[in-house]
Amino acid sequence: MSARFVSIWFPHLSTDWFSLRQPHLKKLPFVLRTSSHGRMVITSTNVVAEQKGISKGMPLADAKAIIPELEIIDDQSDLPLKLLNRLAEWCIRFTPIVGIDSPDGLLLDVSGCPHLWGGEEDYLADIVKKLQNRGYDVRVAIADTIGIAWGMARFGKEPLIVEKEANLEALLFLPPEALRLESETIDRLHKLGLHEIGQFINMPRPSLRRRFGPQFISQLDKALGYQIEMITPVQPIEPYQERLPCIESIATLTGIEIALKELLKKLCLRLVQEQKGLRTAQFKCYRVDGKVEQIAIETNSPSLSMEHLFKLFEIKLSSIEPDLGIELFVLEAPKVEDHLPKQKKLWDASGGLEDERLAELIDKLSVKFGKECINRYVPDEHYWPERSFKPASSLQEKLTTFFWCEDKLRPLQVLKDPESIVVAAPIPDYPPMLFRYKGKVHKIIKADGPERIEQEWWIQQGQHRDYYHVEDEEGRRYWLFRLGHYDQTFQWFIHGFFS
Amino acid sequence: MSYVELQITTNFSFLRGASHPEEFVEEASKLGYKAIAITDRNSLAGIVRAHGAAKKSGIRIIPACRLDLKDGASLLAYPTNIQGYSKISNLLTTGNLRTEKGKCELFKEDVYQHAKDSKFIIIPPCSLNSTFDFEDSFTKTVAEYKKAFGEHLYIAASRSYNGHDAKHLYRISEIMAKFEVPMVATNDVHYHNPGRRELQDIVTCVREKCTIYNAGFRLHPNAERYLKPIDEMHRLFRQYPDAIRQTELIAEACTFSLDELKYQYPKEVTTDGRTPQEELTFLTWRGAQEHYKDQIPEKVKTNILYELKFIKEMNYAEYFLTVYDIVRYAREQNILCQGRGSAANSTICYCLGITSVDPSKFDLLFERFISSARNEPPDIDVDFEHERREEVMQYIYRKYGRDRAAIVATVTQQHHKGAIRDVGKAMGLSVDVITRLSGLIWSFSEEGFDRDRIISQGINPDDPTIRKVLQLTEQFMGFPRQLGQHTGGFVITEGKISDLCPVLNARMQDRTNIEWNKDDIETLKFLKIDVLALGMLTCIRKAFDLAKAHYNLDLTLANIPQDDPAVYEMVSHADTIGVFQIESRAQQSMLPRLKPTCFYDLVIEVAIVRPGPIMGDMVHPYLKRRNGLEPVEYPSKKLEEILKRTLGVPLFQEQAMKIAIVAAGFTPTEADELRRSMATFKAKGKISFFEKKLIKGMIDNGYTEEYAKRVFRQLEGFGSYGFPESHAVSFALLVYVSSWIKCYYPDVFACALLNSMPMGFYQPAQIVIDAKNHGVVVRPIDVNESDWDNKLETKSGKYHALRLGFRQIKGIREEEIRILVEKRKKVYTTMNELRQVGLSEITLEKLADADAFRSMGYDRRRALWEVSSKDLPGSIFSTPSKDAAEEQIELPEMKLSEHVVYDYATTSLSVKAHPVSFVREKLHHFNVLAASQLPEVNHGRIVKVAGLVLVRQRPGTAKGVCFITIEDETGTMNLVVFHKLFDQYRKEIIQSKLLMVEGQVQKEGEVIHVIVRKCFNYSKLLSHLGMAKSDELTLKPMSRSDETTEPVSSTKGKEEHKIIQGKIFPEGRNFK
Repeated sequence: MSARFVSIWFPHLSTDWFSLRQPHLKKLPFVLRTSSHGRMVITSTNVVAEQKGISKGMPLADAKAIIPELEIIDDQSDLPLKLLNRLAEWCIRFTPIVGIDSPDGLLLDVSGCPHLWGGEEDYLADIVKKLQNRGYDVRVAIADTIGIAWGMARFGKEPLIVEKEANLEALLFLPPEALRLESETIDRLHKLGLHEIGQFINMPRPSLRRRFGPQFISQLDKALGYQIEMITPVQPIEPYQERLPCIESIATLTGIEIALKELLKKLCLRLVQEQKGLRTAQFKCYRVDGKVEQIAIETNSPSLSMEHLFKLFEIKLSSIEPDLGIELFVLEAPKVEDHLPKQKKLWDASGGLEDERLAELIDKLSVKFGKECINRYVPDEHYWPERSFKPASSLQEKLTTFFWCEDKLRPLQVLKDPESIVVAAPIPDYPPMLFRYKGKVHKIIKADGPERIEQEWWIQQGQHRDYYHVEDEEGRRYWLFRLGHYDQTFQWFIHGFFS
Repeated sequence: MSYVELQITTNFSFLRGASHPEEFVEEASKLGYKAIAITDRNSLAGIVRAHGAAKKSGIRIIPACRLDLKDGASLLAYPTNIQGYSKISNLLTTGNLRTEKGKCELFKEDVYQHAKDSKFIIIPPCSLNSTFDFEDSFTKTVAEYKKAFGEHLYIAASRSYNGHDAKHLYRISEIMAKFEVPMVATNDVHYHNPGRRELQDIVTCVREKCTIYNAGFRLHPNAERYLKPIDEMHRLFRQYPDAIRQTELIAEACTFSLDELKYQYPKEVTTDGRTPQEELTFLTWRGAQEHYKDQIPEKVKTNILYELKFIKEMNYAEYFLTVYDIVRYAREQNILCQGRGSAANSTICYCLGITSVDPSKFDLLFERFISSARNEPPDIDVDFEHERREEVMQYIYRKYGRDRAAIVATVTQQHHKGAIRDVGKAMGLSVDVITRLSGLIWSFSEEGFDRDRIISQGINPDDPTIRKVLQLTEQFMGFPRQLGQHTGGFVITEGKISDLCPVLNARMQDRTNIEWNKDDIETLKFLKIDVLALGMLTCIRKAFDLAKAHYNLDLTLANIPQDDPAVYEMVSHADTIGVFQIESRAQQSMLPRLKPTCFYDLVIEVAIVRPGPIMGDMVHPYLKRRNGLEPVEYPSKKLEEILKRTLGVPLFQEQAMKIAIVAAGFTPTEADELRRSMATFKAKGKISFFEKKLIKGMIDNGYTEEYAKRVFRQLEGFGSYGFPESHAVSFALLVYVSSWIKCYYPDVFACALLNSMPMGFYQPAQIVIDAKNHGVVVRPIDVNESDWDNKLETKSGKYHALRLGFRQIKGIREEEIRILVEKRKKVYTTMNELRQVGLSEITLEKLADADAFRSMGYDRRRALWEVSSKDLPGSIFSTPSKDAAEEQIELPEMKLSEHVVYDYATTSLSVKAHPVSFVREKLHHFNVLAASQLPEVNHGRIVKVAGLVLVRQRPGTAKGVCFITIEDETGTMNLVVFHKLFDQYRKEIIQSKLLMVEGQVQKEGEVIHVIVRKCFNYSKLLSHLGMAKSDELTLKPMSRSDETTEPVSSTKGKEEHKIIQGKIFPEGRNFK
């Protein structure tokens, strides 16, 4: 059986995708842009824009001069590859061997496949129809070699089926671009008046080689099938999921535990091999009666310790109602992160945030008492006290820009909301002399300040605060502030306690 | 109660201060300050402005600066007298010159060397360490500084309101006690009022390249860095009253004022021990004798005597001599030059050879050029050949030395677009929104943002962020952003220039400039000479050289036969492609209406097609009066004197200003201020102040309000694009000279013009076509004939033939061509000979593309085939490549039309044919007329015309009307597209290379316009030229072409794309 190849070309890959997500774009002229050498350049266009004379590589300014109302979206350079990957996996329905043909195509080795669809015509029609239904503009060609299929898809005339062993004929009328050559070579061929492959295919090989290089000959040979070309097929990524079907339904806790352990063992093994750690996991139990019982856990840092993960689940296991029995157990890890194995140290007393035991402890506590009970705060770069710290998203989160501010004293305990107090203070901005808080009068004997903190005007408007550190007769220290300027309306608050 | 603010950072500390120097002065004077010090970072750039403003407000500026050192704590430096000032200026110069533009590298050691006669304030760190004390390193620095500066060292104390002010001041007082360094109160001011804090935050973000949302602690925590009232400063320092007292003591000690800077003219301009005045007198009479050959007319004699007397009174002799010296040098080097400007049209300048305009042709009074009332230095700009101006500049540096000559700075201001970009970025707006906002600004308008237009862009003007952005943009506009170098303004001094002002490196190599711009220089009454570059002078000089070589003529600017009717005849028919100034399309349509017949008509022609007269609606009245359609009358007797020469219609800047003085009662200074306030959009409030004053003044003097308003509108135009008569006169001479050459020697003119490219309005293709139309034979580029430059060959018909040079080939390397020409002992016959000479493959390919191998028997395609071969004769033993003989390969024949397309692709012009000629037949089918047929068409008829788009122009003065010039094989045509139609056909107008329009013919004398009604993009017709027809191909039965779907991207598409994209045909030029 001779080989047959299909080339799929997506002329508007990225823009089609954007139109799918924002359907109103479909009818508007619309382009993607990126900056190159200091100016904005168009990287893809949709059909509407193309018809109005906008093309790839045009400076954005020129395009906007032509169509002032042009819709513009920033290009994402990794988008085409991502899309192609997805489409390639999806195309496995047509043949097991699908390769990505950057930047805007796919290659399929379809040897022995089309007859399942009732012939090449129906086969191609099905591919085109299905992809069009997904919202993509495509041109699809089939031929004996990758080279000809590629060229036909992009430059050929309908019908895009090249009969077996008709390589040479097909090639004659295609432009040199169809040979996948460097743009320099293509330009030169055109300059020499050689606008179709047929005009030079019969020239002596040595003359051609001398002028256009061995690459040129090799491309020609690939197209003609004298030189073999391979497709690197994509392999879909398997989700992190383990299944354990049971021959007899299980209804006991011990049974469920054994199943969970078994699944954890398998999953952790795979995670270790792929150097991943688990952040969330779901344990699903499919009951005989068709209902699904499930419990989920979450960790603070990537983990692949079976014992630890089991302990986290263990607390919740009792909530599973086996009822008449469970016939299938599934363990899924929807969120995993890179987890490189650490070198084991003989004696590790460093502790701190890096210590796995701390992370595991927090996991356990969170499962028991709820996530909200344990918080870690990191400093945030704001002068406004309420915004000067924020909860950390994970244990390992690094302090990005700076450490806790040390040159300005801040109280150990800060009130969530400042509380209004009554104060006696001399005008204009001298520290207060006494204040009343929760019914008790504090006489101030020492004070420092003011520290004036202005509103962060881009976030909110309002009066500034003058902060004072004060010490009362009993030696307790407080953090007070006056909201507003002394010569306008103002109000006093207590905001925190020093040790 | 008094206090002197000694630490003020203005916006001349780029992206640090948030107020203009003038604003500080105004605020300080409002708050009752007697004096303030401006302390920008390592710079004195802002002090002259502050000084100028302070003089008006009656307070005192202490010129000073903040020294940021590489190896120690920062210092504030205050010169106590002029010697101290020079030292500081030299110190900054040292720091500037040792590094690149925009930076200043200073070390402690430098300061010690320049410390005499200055007082210094050390700036302590703003935070304390964990034991609430200064770091030891700071204490050590204080000790070191104390040793160096002794009693002149102080320490700054500021209340920053950051929570430990009391501790901070206490520690400073400890240092004061320990080292006997007095404490000085300052407020480290960054803006003149607290409202500017937001803008200060924004400029911080711009400086730190972050947004306001992630700027964090790089911003100030509060708004205390403003200029505080004096009593508030006293209160803040109530525990240290001496710190306040010290500010006054320092202010009293620093008596230096910028007024003390005395500009000294350079002295080495005289010879034989004469005084400058004697020297000037001597040179003037000598020049007069040369010019008039011992028969000096009485009128000239009186003028000279009068002018000399005036110059003596004003003590300007050195100035004229300095200019004379530069001009003399240029003459010696055979560099063409021409003076212009207020003083340049004097009889003395004519005698000295600074200008070639014969003053006896006008009765311009000398004082008109130099206003003695304002007592400002005269102004002479000298234009030089643009290719050789650098020689003149380097001569000035050489003659006076780098320490005595420097270029004036230009302060690059934050313009509308840049401001909104910076503010928008700092406020975290997306690029898209910023682009839309900045797109709202029509470069010509100086108005702010218009609500409706913002809404039309889909932006909500009531959104708080947007509102904030617009508000801050308004404030940010006009801020200085960097110091550039002026295009050619030189300051030359007798002493070291760095004694007067810090000198810094310019971006260009071998250039140095000062920190002050031309207004600052003027405030301080420094001499400035503008050494400018003018492309037309290069062209004229090249033309003179060619005329000498081929026609044996010794031409100079002065000896070209004057008032030649043939020249005016040519000009009147708008046959002016390539001529200086009057070649633009607007000028060309004016010429047949104005019909210049004498030199002064050219002066008017140069000045009339300008935004000033156009916006002031002065053009039509003038034309009517000139053609006798309207009586010449004057609003008053007084104005008759001013307006007589322009038939009662003000056309020149001087006239408009004179009207303000004579009719509205302005003082000359006020009139000047008015003009200047219009040039800078910043002083918006002031314009309406002047508007009222002018209109009221004129009405009071009995003029109609309508006339007053018209005068004001014209002044408005002059503000930004003013064209003074004194400049127009000098330009008119060059207009005449270039017209004369074009008229009599079109071969010389075209050749010189092509060799001076890029310049002017037109592309090489139009120059060549125009030359052909005038009977010049143009020959193509050829490896065996051409030189780098275009040249004239033997006579062919009336004129010499023009041989195109290699410089017309895009992107070719000059060095290799030099080799090619040098080694061309005998005729090149094979490609390998050229390779052996040393030409690279790239160059050979470019030559092949340019079809330059015809004399070797190759057309471009065959030549490219020959060039393409990759294995070269590597050694002397290798047998000659088989290729040449072996291959009997037939390449597709290239059609003429194809050749023309490729000629355009490589050289932007073709001598073979005009591209439109190939589609004429098709155009004929569409009833499209050729340009040559238009004169026979009646006024008002609807026609179709088509041509290559040469120029698209949408001047701001024309309310959105677009003027397009198109060209076919028979000539050019002028199209007018009105605003509405432009929007409708925007795509066609912008995209078309070959534009076809349908429109109405409008004739006014010789001037023909087509008022466009419909536009069509016919570029596709051209795209087919570039390709061989399919039926000519060797292997080509178009059998299976049931063309159901057109291939999405085929060769055809690609070629077409290239042509449309302007890769082959030159992009039509766009003007505003």
